[in-house]
Amino acid sequence: MSEMLSGAAILCRALVDAGVEVIFGYPGGAIMPFYHALPDHPRLRHILVRHEQAAAHAADGYARASGRVGVCVATSGPGATNLVTGLAAAYMDSSPVVAITGQVSRPMIGRDAFQETDIVGITLPITKQNYLVEDVTDLADIVAEAMAIAVEGRPGPVLIDVPKDVQNQKIEWHGAQASAAPRAGARGQGGPLTPRASAGSPGSVEDGVRQAARLIKGAERPLLMVGHGVILSEAYEEVRALAEKTGIPVITTLLGISAFPDGHPLHLGMPGMHGEVHVNRAIQNADVIVGIGLRFDDRVTGNTASFAPQARIVHIDLDRAEIGKNVPVAVGIVGDARDITRRLVAAVEPRRCERWVEHIRGFVRTRTESYRGDLSPEAILASIYEASHGDCTIVTDVGQHQMWVAKLYPYQRPNTHITSGGLGAMGFAVPAAMGVHLARPAGTVWAISGDGGFQMNMAEMATMVQEGLPVKMAVFNNGYLGMVRQWQQFFHEKRYSCTPIWSPDYVKLAEAYSIPGYRVKEASELADVVGRANAEPGPALVEFLIEQEANVYPMIPPGGSLSEPIEAEPAAAAGD
Amino acid sequence: MSGVSAPPPHSAHTVAVLLDDALVTLNRAFGVLRRRNVPIEGLALHPSGTAGVSRLTFVLKADPLTADRVAQQLHKMIGVRSVMVLANDDSSTEAKR
Repeated sequence: MSEMLSGAAILCRALVDAGVEVIFGYPGGAIMPFYHALPDHPRLRHILVRHEQAAAHAADGYARASGRVGVCVATSGPGATNLVTGLAAAYMDSSPVVAITGQVSRPMIGRDAFQETDIVGITLPITKQNYLVEDVTDLADIVAEAMAIAVEGRPGPVLIDVPKDVQNQKIEWHGAQASAAPRAGARGQGGPLTPRASAGSPGSVEDGVRQAARLIKGAERPLLMVGHGVILSEAYEEVRALAEKTGIPVITTLLGISAFPDGHPLHLGMPGMHGEVHVNRAIQNADVIVGIGLRFDDRVTGNTASFAPQARIVHIDLDRAEIGKNVPVAVGIVGDARDITRRLVAAVEPRRCERWVEHIRGFVRTRTESYRGDLSPEAILASIYEASHGDCTIVTDVGQHQMWVAKLYPYQRPNTHITSGGLGAMGFAVPAAMGVHLARPAGTVWAISGDGGFQMNMAEMATMVQEGLPVKMAVFNNGYLGMVRQWQQFFHEKRYSCTPIWSPDYVKLAEAYSIPGYRVKEASELADVVGRANAEPGPALVEFLIEQEANVYPMIPPGGSLSEPIEAEPAAAAGD
Repeated sequence: MSGVSAPPPHSAHTVAVLLDDALVTLNRAFGVLRRRNVPIEGLALHPSGTAGVSRLTFVLKADPLTADRVAQQLHKMIGVRSVMVLANDDSSTEAKR
């Protein structure tokens, strides 16, 4: 039972066969054959974004919320280059995304044709793998392989560049091939890595677990630090069991937030540049740190030379290249966070760390900052928590609001905090929240942005209206690019160069998009307005007019030690 | 675990990589070296003797931990089949000048 099929039709079928249900995209010349074939495959719901960057971020948001591959599609040239920021964000945060781009026809490649760009070359360093499809007979296998590579091991983005004439090429199609089988050599991992062992290089899992259990047993001031790997492998129960069996307090990194319940008595909070003082002091005083599924990023460690000076570090990560990359480790264990943590729970002896936890509590500082109209980040976030009965996914953008949400929102459910951590891509929240909604259609999604990041991708409100995506948008408007302004205040003699930023009237803007829009100036309005926005059946936008020069405290200066936080506005600007 | 005394902080390592003989894979491997700012001396590409597989060899001037890190970054690349790191002073053939 064979039939003649175009490359474009094969591409659609391969996506259906891979279980894809949603694709985020934008048509254009070199991808038109694909769009011509698409209506014949109603299983593939296409979301028409307003900019390809949003397609990549939305696919990323979908992937993070669902654990499945997010798919985005763009045309050649500018369409493909517009995906780049979103792919880089997915790469940095280990998110499984497959991008499909149109390319100029094969005879035109290399001639600087109209809308030709070497997207395979451009995306090499920000993808796990990428392909230029040179023959239609490879296409179905490449799609199946790309979908598998994106999720297997440490997830990440994969790009498939499909020349227009390959999309138009017709071949006899004999139904789905045995496409799960990898093409020869294409996924070659393995073989001897190095003939010699060196300090910190991971040994066997059994040895590692045994050594880790021994270190935990002998520790007086142990800590667990959990990151995105715990969410990716859904190791929530295992991490909780490890913490409760040993009494070790838990630190959650920015991407590890919600991997451990915020209100749990052993939860300390987020470490690093904007971590609370007691969290960073706990790190600086710890004698053993067990890191699970994190990469000791520089925003977590500050100056690595002074990071956790007394601690022996156990590092558990799926990606062997992360072990010892940023900080020296005493024990490195390569493996899935859930599997290794489960083994560690079995290997450790029950113990308590009450004196140590009490000691850390002694580091807790309470600060009181004043906010215009009492409209503090705490009050705004509490109103969102209450309006959604604590049952929503929060997607944040990048900047001050991101840090406030990370520190203050009381996450109870796993994987309900989604943000651009590694790349720190402003403009992420609004499109990513669209993807989150499609992954979790029954839940509520709040996209929280600053006035800067919101204006980067606010055109996606049109996508929400056209496609029926009821994302709730919160804009923290302080009239500044607040985090940069804060750095200018602390480190650049208060020279607010190019950080004041004008905003449109967001209520009118929402109206122009036929979306309900609200403005909140006083804390007293919060419950009513946020409650109404949350209850809207469709998208809604709430602008919060917050204190203009509020800062995120504490702050470790860039490159500084976790031991030396800034806790209030410096009296005299430090020259740097 | 060669059993010899610790090598000097920045010694030469020879790294041999077996990888798919595809331009995009080679390009990606070079990209890893460039992006990770790896201090390299000499880079040679040869057929491996197996069809479809190339051998990429280069000399790396770095401490052993950095050399391992480079090997691991290459090792996790799709299309890379194996990575071998040899500290040059493990070999008695390196003449002192």
